Amino acid sequence: MFVAKSIAADHKDLIHDVSYDFHGRRMATCSSDQSVKARKHSFVWDKGDDGEWRCTASWKTHSGSVWRVTWAHPEFGQVLASCSFDRTAAVWEEIVGESNDKQRGQSHWIKRTTLVDSRTSVTDVKFAPKHMGLMLTTCSADGVVRIYEAPDVMNLSQWSLQHEISCKLSCSCISWNPSSSRAHPPMIAVGSDDSNVTYSGKVQIYEYNENTRKYAKAETLMTVTDPVHDIAFAPNLGRSFHVLAIATKDVRIFKLIPLRRESANSSGPTKFEVQVMAQFDSHNSQVWRVSWNITSTLLASSGDDGCVRLWKANYMDNWKCTGILRGDGSPVNGSSGHTAALSTVGVPGTAQMVVGAASAGRYFFPHLDSPSTGSRLAHLLPPPSLIEQMNEPDPTHATQLRHRHMVNSSNQPTDIFLLNDQ
Amino acid sequence: MSLSSTCWPEKELHLSHLLFLCILQLEMEKMTKVSTISGRTMFCHLDAPANAISVCRDASQVVVAGRNIFKIYGLEEDGFVERLNLRVGRKPSLNFSCADVMWHQMEENLLATAATNGAVVTWNLARPCRNKQEQLFTEHKRTVNKVCFHPTEVNMLLSGSQDGFMKCFDLRKKESVSTFSGQSESVRDVQFSMKDYFTFAASFENGNVQLWDIRRPDRYERMFTAHTGPVFCCDWHPEDRGWLATGGRDKMVKVWDMSTNRVKEIYCVQTIASVARVKWRPEQRYHLATCSMMVDHNIYVWDVRRPFIPFATFEEHKDVTTGIVWRHQHDPCFLLSGSKDSTLYQHMFKDASRPVDRANPEGLCFGLFGDLAFAAKESLMTGDVGRKTYPGGDRRYPIFFFKKPDVTAQFAQVSSALSVFESEAGSSVGMDWFINTAQSYLLSGKPFAELCEHNAQVAKKLNRLQESTTWTMLRIMFSEPANPSLSTNHNLNKSGNLPLVNSFSMKEMSAALNERNKENRQDNIHSLETNLNNNDENEETEGSEGQAEYLFGDAELDDDDLYSMEHDNQAAEEPEYLLPQEAFPLRHEIMDHPSAPEPVQEKPESPHVSGSEAENTCLTPMESISLISVSQLLFSPHLPPKFFCPIVKEMLCYYAEQGDVQMAVSVLIVLGDRIRKEIDELMQEHWYMSYIDLLQRFELWNVSNEVIKLSTCGAIMCLNQASTTLHINCSNCKRPMSNKGWICDRCHQCASVCAVCHHVVKGLFVWCQGCSHGGHLEHVMEWLKQSKHCPAGCGHLCEYT
Repeated sequence: MFVAKSIAADHKDLIHDVSYDFHGRRMATCSSDQSVKARKHSFVWDKGDDGEWRCTASWKTHSGSVWRVTWAHPEFGQVLASCSFDRTAAVWEEIVGESNDKQRGQSHWIKRTTLVDSRTSVTDVKFAPKHMGLMLTTCSADGVVRIYEAPDVMNLSQWSLQHEISCKLSCSCISWNPSSSRAHPPMIAVGSDDSNVTYSGKVQIYEYNENTRKYAKAETLMTVTDPVHDIAFAPNLGRSFHVLAIATKDVRIFKLIPLRRESANSSGPTKFEVQVMAQFDSHNSQVWRVSWNITSTLLASSGDDGCVRLWKANYMDNWKCTGILRGDGSPVNGSSGHTAALSTVGVPGTAQMVVGAASAGRYFFPHLDSPSTGSRLAHLLPPPSLIEQMNEPDPTHATQLRHRHMVNSSNQPTDIFLLNDQ
Repeated sequence: MSLSSTCWPEKELHLSHLLFLCILQLEMEKMTKVSTISGRTMFCHLDAPANAISVCRDASQVVVAGRNIFKIYGLEEDGFVERLNLRVGRKPSLNFSCADVMWHQMEENLLATAATNGAVVTWNLARPCRNKQEQLFTEHKRTVNKVCFHPTEVNMLLSGSQDGFMKCFDLRKKESVSTFSGQSESVRDVQFSMKDYFTFAASFENGNVQLWDIRRPDRYERMFTAHTGPVFCCDWHPEDRGWLATGGRDKMVKVWDMSTNRVKEIYCVQTIASVARVKWRPEQRYHLATCSMMVDHNIYVWDVRRPFIPFATFEEHKDVTTGIVWRHQHDPCFLLSGSKDSTLYQHMFKDASRPVDRANPEGLCFGLFGDLAFAAKESLMTGDVGRKTYPGGDRRYPIFFFKKPDVTAQFAQVSSALSVFESEAGSSVGMDWFINTAQSYLLSGKPFAELCEHNAQVAKKLNRLQESTTWTMLRIMFSEPANPSLSTNHNLNKSGNLPLVNSFSMKEMSAALNERNKENRQDNIHSLETNLNNNDENEETEGSEGQAEYLFGDAELDDDDLYSMEHDNQAAEEPEYLLPQEAFPLRHEIMDHPSAPEPVQEKPESPHVSGSEAENTCLTPMESISLISVSQLLFSPHLPPKFFCPIVKEMLCYYAEQGDVQMAVSVLIVLGDRIRKEIDELMQEHWYMSYIDLLQRFELWNVSNEVIKLSTCGAIMCLNQASTTLHINCSNCKRPMSNKGWICDRCHQCASVCAVCHHVVKGLFVWCQGCSHGGHLEHVMEWLKQSKHCPAGCGHLCEYT
């Protein structure tokens, strides 16, 4: 399903967040080394001719670890927001113009504003869905969620603090409900990484009340008692209900079904029927990140085991693992030099070696001559022999194999998926 | 809990042989002294904010000094005990108001304070009277910022003041023995070197650090600029002779190597606020503790090799921390701190919070095209097998209790690997299907049946059989009798029933009517075959045999309908009762050999005559779709298309809930009025919005605009009419065009004339931004193949990008 490409990260410390932009052509990473890097993809979709990821900008953003980076809707320009241990969040805008940087392929990002309201580490920053305007939300370790708005979308240096929600618990992550339906009032889910398990309800959901013009707590997921590291609403895409993925000590998927209000003028928050759709502890460790694909059919989670697991529901809403990706390229085709080469990814010259060591040539893209990029196969858990056989040109054969291979990877028959997959 | 010296990490002794004996002595001392230290995280309230604290050599007492406080506390097992209040007298003089305090490390009764009035005071605890003040030096003209005893010389005291001078006092004399003029701004800190007897360092408000030899007061030995802005503090490394840590208002802590000819910055730690104090951690070569002057109340312990994230944090204080000191010079796990919040804390290292544990080591994001970007700590990626499941659980044990000595080394060496998993073309995670579908679907401009047919083909081509079937079903359900493509069946329409053949015939049926040979029939049914195959596949994969039986059994109910209907059809087609007879065995065959497509060719229409509406609604939508196909023939003769609306509505909702809003919207548009009223307006709008948003994500602007145009929701329709203003200037007179026509009202010429063909351009107009000449896109493209110059003849070298 996937081809793994390693990118020379060039960050001097841990990378805490990766974020794609709206169109999936740019990527931003942030790290403890206080910098944010933006990458651009030279991506030509029609030809299936995938390009390389190239670092187009790297700049020091904060004076502490940068926890998160997020893109604004491109309608507002090329805008990034970052938040940091240094208790601030910042908004950055890319400047298009004539400069020497352009010739070196570097773009210039300037700081539009610094939001300094937090007294503690700002742990997450998210732009609100576009239909709400240009709004930015931060949450901090002292348990305060702040919602800022730029009243003038052309002026990114003016942000006014619109709402302050006190969550009582140290916040670690926030997610906006992306639904643009008028039937769904703005809603934000907040996760807490408070390690005290006696406080249950580490996920709180706040909803905007049109009458009071305030955010009020609509729901607390009492069953979540362990620290929550990440939280993500699935893209709504016309659903009447909401799906929320939570990364705690396991992966959980909740379904929030808004119940009909008894009367139209009831001013209280929407009541939800909360269903646990799935709960997986296959990572056997802390789960750090969850991310939905654009159609919200696939959930990716990553945990302390260093694996990315992909989850998919069948037509019965049974969620199953459909793939495990190991980013480290641990033995895939048994070539010993392969792993060795990978440990030196980013060192000029090694990329060639990787190519040489790899036998499954079909999986490699042609632009491997860039010294900064190594490439390798994703380690999909079924035995590599299967993958290698897929090199055969006969497409039907390959499809069959893929089916088998997917069935294997989840250890259970997943026939229905296969049909849907097509 | 007690420590034994065996716990200590192996020390690297970078010391000369001369000092060896001394070290040995120290080690011995450490064993005796340190092993007695124990305690816990504890605090006590002070009467007033503290400015500085200092601890006596054996770590049993701590002195707290401030503007309104000067007390000595004993450090007991489970708390601080006030031992002595040095602030005596009815109206204490300003000499008691301290900016800094230091306890002599050799002489345990001797203390020195820097008074805010510029006095340097020494105190002797051994004095029998209440007032312990011993000496008073009032030589500085302004506040004294720092006092420092010589580490090995009993009577030598150094002070640094706001007036820019440093003075060295011999406690046996009444006056200073030497004065050092930094000849720059105020002195913020002075520190005797731990290892070089004669050397001390001084830091200044202008960012400089000076090194002095105590014997040469005339000029400094070295000077370098350490920070931009004031250098508030400096601290010599207890072991590494040449290492000096400095902290400044520029929020940085820098470690300098003084042992070389050129002073070299070897580490730089960026903190989040100006650095007020810095103290090397005993026994941990790379660790230092800092506290801040404002804003930040926490105490951080950094590993200088990993300068970005604190190794440990103490978060107890509620106000600015003013003084930090390690409790014992060989004990790395107790830190004492005083604060403006009037508390004195003893911090246990094991109770420190570790920001790195809360920092997530991974980043993960799904891209638009189904690619996954994944960044993870490299140690996670290489998959340490022996890794603890919950790393946070280890925090209960202080770092030095680990038998592995390399824990701090592990902390220091981290990096992340970033990889992108790109979805393979054609794989289930990719989004090519979405784009292809969006681009190929026809939503308008053709008769309904053709649109359905086309879209079914598109879906089929993309191997999306379920969607393909849906389109076919929709065509069957809603095809109207008057459909021009079904002209051959006009006679049937008179009967008032929907003609059965409609559903499958299309154009070929006319041929079928005439010739009715088998080959033709095979052609006719090719669309049906897809249906059947789909059904087969569905049933096969779902393994729903029970439903198959159900379906079959129920069919008997409808036999009457079946016959009557068939009769109608056959009346048109002459051979009576042929169809029903063939139909029954065929149904059996399908049930028995669902994968065999051959039986279908015998008589395509009939096998579908089964099923019931009750079933359709109770089954999962996917199956119901396949059953709709089965049941439709049965009902269509009697039922208006409206009958299917609930089912179609349910189907659309199903697609939307499955995340395929594309299908929902496409069907909605194609069906138009047939279904529109059935579905909640708000929901429709929601679907449209979601789909348009998706299309725009994929930069499918044309499709998006088409959807907007075809939508029936008011809120959607206005999407492409809002906030798009075109300002047009006349290409001749370069003035704004005010009227709506093609002629500029100022120069009375046609505004947008093609420079190539000299006709007014309506539609795509391309122009050069340099000379503003342009014209029809095709014309200009053609022109530029031949010439680089502007077609208008203005001589401009046009660039069209």
